[in-house]
Amino acid sequence: MASHNESIIREPLITGKGITYAQITNDVLNPVENKPNKAWWIGFTVASLGSLLWVVSISYTFWFGLGAWGLNKTVGWAWDITGFVWWVGIGHAGTLISAVLLIFRQNWRNSINRSAEAMTIFAVICAATYIVAHMGRPWLAYFTLPLPNQYVLWVNWNSALMMDVFAISTYFSVSLLFWYTGLLPDIASIRDRATGLRRRIYSILSFGWTGSVKTWQRFETVSLILAGISTPLVLSVHTIVSFDFATSLEPGWHTTIFPPYFVAGAIFSGFAMVQTLLLVTRKVLGLENYITMFHIESMNKIIMLTGSIVGVAYITEFFIAWYSGVEYEQYAFINRATGPYWWAYWSMMSCNVISPQLFWSSKLRRSIKFSWFLSIIVNIGMWFERFVIIVTSLHRDYIPSSWVMFYPTWVDVSVFIGSIGIFFTMFLLFIRVLPSVAIAEVKLLLKTSSEQSKKKEIEEGHLDPVEVQYYKESLVKYDSVDMSDYEKI
Amino acid sequence: MDSNKKYWKGLEELNRTPEFVEKNKHEFAEPIPIEEVLSGGGLSAKTPRRDFLKALGFGVGAVTLAACQKVPVHKSIPYLVKPEEITPGIANYYSSTYEGSAILVKTREGRPIKVEGNPGDLLSKGGLSAQAQASVLELYDTSRVKDPKLNGNPTGWPQLDKFVKDELTAIKAGGKKISIVSSTVHSPSTLAVIADFITAFPTASHVTYDAVSYTGIIQANKNSFGKAVLPHYYFDKADVIVSFGADFLGTWISGEEFTSQYVKNRNNKSLEAKKMSRHIQFESGMSLTGTNADVRMPIKPSEDGIALMNLYNALSGTTLPGSKKLTNANADKAIVLVAKELLAAKGKSLVVAGSNDVSVQTLVNAINSLLGSYGTTIDLDNPSRQYAGNDTDWTKFVADAKAGLVDAVLFLDANPAYDYYNVKDIEAALKKIRLKVTFSDKDDETAALCNAVAPNHHYLESWGDDSAIEGYYTVVQPTINPVNNTRQAEESLLVWSDNAVKTYYTYLRANWETNLLAKGGLAGQAGWEALLQKGFINAAPVAAGTYSFALDLNAVAQTILSQSSKIAAGGKYELQVYQTPAMRDGKKANNPWLQELPDPVTKVTWDNFAAMSPSDIKELGLDEFQVVTIKSGNGYSVSLPVLSQPGQARGTVSVAVGYGRTAAGLVGNNVGKNAYPFYNLLNGTFQTTSAVSVDVTSDIFPLSQTQTHHSFEGRNVIREATFTEYKKNAAAGSGKDEEHEKYDLWEKSVDDASHSRPVYDWVMAIDLNACTGCGACVVACSAENNIPVVGKDEVGRRREMHWIRIDRYYSYDNGKGELNVTKEKEIDELKDFENVSVVHQPMLCQHCDHAPCETVCPVLATVHSSEGLNQMAYNRCVGTRYCANNCPYKVRRFNWFNYWNDSRFDNYLSNEHTQLVLNPDVTTRFRGVMEKCSMCVQRIQAGKLKAKIEKRPLADGEVKVACQQTCSANAIVFGNRNDPNSEVSKALNSERTYYVLEELNVKPGIGYQVKVRNTLSELQA
Repeated sequence: MASHNESIIREPLITGKGITYAQITNDVLNPVENKPNKAWWIGFTVASLGSLLWVVSISYTFWFGLGAWGLNKTVGWAWDITGFVWWVGIGHAGTLISAVLLIFRQNWRNSINRSAEAMTIFAVICAATYIVAHMGRPWLAYFTLPLPNQYVLWVNWNSALMMDVFAISTYFSVSLLFWYTGLLPDIASIRDRATGLRRRIYSILSFGWTGSVKTWQRFETVSLILAGISTPLVLSVHTIVSFDFATSLEPGWHTTIFPPYFVAGAIFSGFAMVQTLLLVTRKVLGLENYITMFHIESMNKIIMLTGSIVGVAYITEFFIAWYSGVEYEQYAFINRATGPYWWAYWSMMSCNVISPQLFWSSKLRRSIKFSWFLSIIVNIGMWFERFVIIVTSLHRDYIPSSWVMFYPTWVDVSVFIGSIGIFFTMFLLFIRVLPSVAIAEVKLLLKTSSEQSKKKEIEEGHLDPVEVQYYKESLVKYDSVDMSDYEKI
Repeated sequence: MDSNKKYWKGLEELNRTPEFVEKNKHEFAEPIPIEEVLSGGGLSAKTPRRDFLKALGFGVGAVTLAACQKVPVHKSIPYLVKPEEITPGIANYYSSTYEGSAILVKTREGRPIKVEGNPGDLLSKGGLSAQAQASVLELYDTSRVKDPKLNGNPTGWPQLDKFVKDELTAIKAGGKKISIVSSTVHSPSTLAVIADFITAFPTASHVTYDAVSYTGIIQANKNSFGKAVLPHYYFDKADVIVSFGADFLGTWISGEEFTSQYVKNRNNKSLEAKKMSRHIQFESGMSLTGTNADVRMPIKPSEDGIALMNLYNALSGTTLPGSKKLTNANADKAIVLVAKELLAAKGKSLVVAGSNDVSVQTLVNAINSLLGSYGTTIDLDNPSRQYAGNDTDWTKFVADAKAGLVDAVLFLDANPAYDYYNVKDIEAALKKIRLKVTFSDKDDETAALCNAVAPNHHYLESWGDDSAIEGYYTVVQPTINPVNNTRQAEESLLVWSDNAVKTYYTYLRANWETNLLAKGGLAGQAGWEALLQKGFINAAPVAAGTYSFALDLNAVAQTILSQSSKIAAGGKYELQVYQTPAMRDGKKANNPWLQELPDPVTKVTWDNFAAMSPSDIKELGLDEFQVVTIKSGNGYSVSLPVLSQPGQARGTVSVAVGYGRTAAGLVGNNVGKNAYPFYNLLNGTFQTTSAVSVDVTSDIFPLSQTQTHHSFEGRNVIREATFTEYKKNAAAGSGKDEEHEKYDLWEKSVDDASHSRPVYDWVMAIDLNACTGCGACVVACSAENNIPVVGKDEVGRRREMHWIRIDRYYSYDNGKGELNVTKEKEIDELKDFENVSVVHQPMLCQHCDHAPCETVCPVLATVHSSEGLNQMAYNRCVGTRYCANNCPYKVRRFNWFNYWNDSRFDNYLSNEHTQLVLNPDVTTRFRGVMEKCSMCVQRIQAGKLKAKIEKRPLADGEVKVACQQTCSANAIVFGNRNDPNSEVSKALNSERTYYVLEELNVKPGIGYQVKVRNTLSELQA
């Protein structure tokens, strides 16, 4: 966000001719300030029905007990924790985009960070519902908090689940804070253009943003500090989630490779989810100038990279299982690939390892339809990854007499589909009431456009020719701009 | 001081202006706007007065109404006059008898809640079968008959008595037969009552039949030695035991007694003395006994007798006419080897057969006579009275009744409308009988055909006695007032026969006084009281005589051959009907504990099935649990799901009786299919084998098994050795020679005070060589720890709640006679599934010192005690199930539903009446809570408190956990590891001890002892 010393002839991050600051505000606020279109209504109806399914299936579970799910004496976690890890993983892209890419001054993030962060928050909410719902006695969920009490009962700091409670709640608070801080100048923009009740609401939400230099300066500082706090969270949250498995005794879970492997997987799935959402959003909301092919390609590259890391992790696990010489560990992995759940394993392998390799082809990387298709494939693959880790490890562990199969019930399936419904309901409401692209930050990228208008002024002879001459010479001399390129902008 | 100073309120007062004077007349200087408030403006104000009053009125009214809601009052009334023997919270134990075995009944606040073995019992030495453990639940069965019934309608006892007596008098005058039909009665006083009844009604007779009959043995003994008795067997005196289809550790005659005898020559003590019996089993279906055999040879039912003939030939050196080879060449080879073994152990060997065929049993007698078993391992002079049924008498009764010769029948503990092989005959017979009375306390199949139901007490409500073995007398005493309007059958008989003695208690006392007390050296009131306290008397046994067999065997051989050819020729498959140790003859089909007890061999609950060889199933192209229709020559057919049973002889099908009840009660109705009609009557006895056709249907009927993977994958969870190896190295197979350095993250903290076990360290030792896998411990644990029954569907979802389970693994023949194929992929390629070895492993919470469950619980709901126990704080548990996932032994059980208060589990234990059986010392668990074996912490606590009150240290063996207590094999030893002299410390110090998954360093508190097999190495190719 700070200073930008990019070459003017670098591929612009905002495409289209004659984009002005006002144009950006108009474009981005279009869905917020107008009645939603048909596509939105269709999406919202479907998502709401999904949410309703969630309400029904969760109520059924709470009424009758966890027996409504397909779990059994051997497989104590299945779709619940699979769903939990899946959602937490998806959340990671948002934080990576907003925090890590900010610190690394990757300005292209400015167009996508808002939606990605919103996605993070909604995904973490979905994950949190699973934490509560998977408990046998969810009404006692507060037992997991270290609250002082007259029984002198305390929580178990050795338990990875305990760490999870803190990891997830910290992650949620920081993400929410970061997201909301970024929203302040944009909410103020809506406020300034709104009237009546809307103006009052957005006025309150903008926390009295004035737009003064001092405000902007503080805004930048807070953003950087929060980015600094969030960056370790990108690594720590999924590391701790992976501890749920890595610190256990279960063959297939008890693996030191889990933290980096989980983080890479989380970023992988998160970017896939960002793709899934934004490829549709940019089309429906007409944001093609801000979320460009450059963004799509960059994200595809990240998907390819993290997909490869995950692939290496899968192979490493196998190698280590063989190398360890531990009978149970070896069996767990052979069972994954060739046991009763072989189809889950090979779904995971083909979705997560093989299919992202197709992005080596720039043609496919730049195909919007293919990118969207592949993002769905990756999301499916990452769900299977968690299913494979959880269910195929548990269903056949140490004592063969307890080996079982796990079959989901309609409630398992409904809770998962319902959580997707909840996620999309929240996301669709978000793009209706808040700017889905960070207006203030995108405006920082407009350098190319101002160059265009300067050139126009030169051509129309509004500027002093001496200064123009000097300006052009400096461009060549200091900015290494080839004059033939300059003519093209 | 001058006090007359006057202060004015103002100049107006000083000046006494007219306005002031006017105003001062009233109490308030300015008028109060009461009128205005009460009318007009006051009512149109923003908050009108009336609305305020309305709101106030409603509020007070509503709060008052809400306060009227009656708070449920749970009255707990102390005893006005406290019975001397009852102290709330302290259990009382009463001695009684269950099917001839002396037992102790635990009662709490006047209700029996648990049955335990009497350590002095002659039969099971303090152990108890699963059936006996479950019997207490039947007392609280809601489907028991509540009142006597006449023609299906509830009535009173006087009305019933009048009806029955009038009828009996009329029938007596008519001169036709009166029959008392019962299953075996071994109570001397009941027999005396029946005898008195017969005296009163001279046309009366007592017909005894058993649903599962032993007439063959009794008749063979009569033919061979002139003694129509069921012998008393001594498996502990036999070094070589050969059984032809006799499931003597399970369902054959006296399973618990034989288990305790059998284990004596195979347990740790015996092994340390370098002594182990050898047990060879020839059978078609896999029985509990077969799973324990050192050598097990599958043979077809039709070859049972031929195998015995071959054995006789090998022993005697003669050749019986018609002898031929068996289809199983291995079995043939084994017979020769077995004969050698038997001869070498002459006088210390025993051959038994499960067949109910007189000629087969006669041949067995001949063999045992050759081996000199009479007087050593078989006692004919102190016989068993456990089964006395006579198939001939019984079928004659049915024939007589059909012919209209019988006018009255009284059914005592008999349900022929279910367990007779030809129910149509029974129906036809009963139609011709004028007076049909049943003493059943259930509306069972026979009760539906009777005109009078005179419900008997449950045995825990009864007075009585028993004598299962000659000279051994036990007493039955009531432990609760009758729950329903029932009356003891003996008393009914006394009343109906106008006996001088009107109450059975008086009759019983008199009978003991005159006939029985003296046998135990007791007399008078003091003697009776001593008897009630001890529970039994044991008269000195008569010296067991030797008997030699002298009959001609040619005729016997001919009969055997002709029967064999009948079974073999009839159809493609040979059917064997058997009993499962859980359900037995089906009388207790309404007991949910037994229905949910996994069958020891197949681990199937809540159903019977058609067990077939995996090879046959492959050949027929059947899927798992595909339904097949089995049809026998007599036209009866059932459709049952097929179960792949390793070790099942090729070409045979096994189906269990005891299922398919239609009038057992809510729990037992329509569970499985009835197999009794497959019986056939041959040479005067009921035969359990027949030729059947097997037709494949397209249906699948999933069975609910508690274990679905049946091999141990070569993992050292199971450790085995042969006896030869053991003799060379006592630690053989235990992995002791693989010892390596141990590392411990917690070494320091274990030493510090908070982690030490200052007084007790509760641990357990389980001897895999003693455990027969019967499953009595599972039921004992359920009764002790209030473990919910979840039903077929939930078991099918793999959610049974048992805290202790018995894992059963098969190992297969590698083609060279070595039974070491255990890996799934290798088993898939096998063709021969006949030759298998089986191991049973009781699995329960290991109470690990480094418990993986404890470290992962986020809320510290499972923690370690200072006595080495891994404990559950149910109230703290939020149900994340992380502990269960992280348990390498998978012994934790989760309450998926609120089993105790969920209408969907009404059939089982969630009704209020049945819940009276709950142990008040153990809380029931709510849904969403994890539970598991607590090592009966309530018993430990009770034991410690008792010792503390008596100011003495807790003695070793004083506290027994429920599973250990009921184990007739003494396979489970529990105690304090801190005491080097405790039984458990000694057991754990055994060379054979190993810990399951000890390489995980979780430090389990339960040590297992290597399974040792006394195999016949000559059999290996």
